[in-house]
Amino acid sequence: MAANIIDRRRINGPQRSVEPLYTHVDAAADPFASGRGDGRALDQVRPIFVKTGPLSAHRSESALSSAAAASGAAFYEQGKIRVSCAVYGPRQGRRSSARMGSFDCDFRYAPFACSWKRRSHVKGADEREISLMLEHAIAPAIRLEAYPKACIDAYVTVIESDGKAATIAAAINCISAALADAGIEMYDSVAACSMGLTGARWVADCAQPEEDAASCSMLIAYMPSADEVTYILQHGKTTPEQTDQAVQTCTNMCARVYAVICRYLQDSLE
Amino acid sequence: MANTGPVTFAIEAFKRIHPVEFQRRFLSQETRHDGRAFGQFRETHVAKGTVSTAQGSSTVRIGDTTVVCGIKAEVSEPDVKTPDEGYLVTNVDLSPMCSARFRAGPPSESAQVASEHVFRLFNQNVVDLKELCIESGQAVWVLSADIVCLRHDGNILDAAIVALMAALEDLKLPQAKIESGVVSADKSTGRPLALRRRLFPATYTLVDDAYLVADADDAEEQLATASVLVVVDERGRVANVWKRGAGPISRQSISQCVDVATGRVPKMAEVLDAAGGQ
Repeated sequence: MAANIIDRRRINGPQRSVEPLYTHVDAAADPFASGRGDGRALDQVRPIFVKTGPLSAHRSESALSSAAAASGAAFYEQGKIRVSCAVYGPRQGRRSSARMGSFDCDFRYAPFACSWKRRSHVKGADEREISLMLEHAIAPAIRLEAYPKACIDAYVTVIESDGKAATIAAAINCISAALADAGIEMYDSVAACSMGLTGARWVADCAQPEEDAASCSMLIAYMPSADEVTYILQHGKTTPEQTDQAVQTCTNMCARVYAVICRYLQDSLE
Repeated sequence: MANTGPVTFAIEAFKRIHPVEFQRRFLSQETRHDGRAFGQFRETHVAKGTVSTAQGSSTVRIGDTTVVCGIKAEVSEPDVKTPDEGYLVTNVDLSPMCSARFRAGPPSESAQVASEHVFRLFNQNVVDLKELCIESGQAVWVLSADIVCLRHDGNILDAAIVALMAALEDLKLPQAKIESGVVSADKSTGRPLALRRRLFPATYTLVDDAYLVADADDAEEQLATASVLVVVDERGRVANVWKRGAGPISRQSISQCVDVATGRVPKMAEVLDAAGGQ
């Protein structure tokens, strides 16, 4: 069991600690009883903030890049979700004979990023799974044939999450922006969006309480200019018609998210 | 004006190819490559309550160095030897996301050193572990403070100490009671944790064995042969002096560092106070 391994390289607390039993939790029976909690429309994505490069307000006057700085970096907010990403590369790959470049992704939650129990420093199975999902969602957009023998690495950390599917979508958007900042050749930027099914209605970009109440979740990564879907993940039961409808609505929303990111990237060039 | 492009390129190349000589050109002229004076610190920005999933949190930026600190409060059994003391567990996380100098995987040596130092500093000086007791011998609070670095541009220790200080001041511990072995807590009521003292750090770095500069950035730290960390509290009492590295630093210089660190306290306290929780 991973939980029993003591990592001597970290400061360890007691072997076992639990969350207290919280009383007076405002557990609304149905988060959709009176519209959405934050007053959004059903197909409305939470407000997005994106910033590439260092987090300081202005680029330093000297404008000399530090040797240790990443090739590209981005910070992405969507409602309460906060994701930070750094991209390195193209740099020397691990396989020198490869005709295509490789894209690797390392996804982490900060230990305090989830609203439930603190996460261990040991990388969880879900983090490995999401890393792979991000690779699959982004790699089709990168011109990997333009980078033989090279690899491109993306390191993503979630500082705060609010809805699992929405957090993964945010990570995809964040990596896209960081890749653009790094000047990696791409066919198109990937934009992602998630939805949840409550009753017979699809609800866009679910926050954690909404996601807990939803019976099905859908995540789509989409390249709007190419009109190609790079990743679809559905959990839960739907009818084929409902899935069709979700793909349609979700790609429309991805296009809107894409517009926001592209507008930012264009403005940042000026 | 037509020459601006090529000249910028030349400086960039010079900096990368010969970093030591590059820094010396500035330092020998009594200035630094980012235009600061030797004794000048970068501006510190603090925001409290930035992560709503943590019980206490803060974001601190010193120049381009950015860290986020989040404290999760959980419940555990106390140690048999100290039945009425809780735990404060601090870890500094330096991942490849913040700088190309770090590898993925287990924490690097510098991260371990930072974690350990911050741990001892705060356990001995700031948090009264008895304050974290819920029921003696039965249940205590465990505060897990994780300091995640988002961008590393030197002086991570100062940033980590300021961030943890701000997060502890932001912390709201829910009212907890123990009934038949189960700890229940009321999320709607929170009390701030009483802290024994406020710590204010200041780091000096000896660059190239000759120049003592305040608040070195990443490029300067690469040429560092020694550094001095001075931590003082709100009344100007010294909590910690830590000189690392083989480079020679005179006794006068060290007492100067302590003087400047003490002099910075009112300004830094203002920054911490102005941060305010959300």
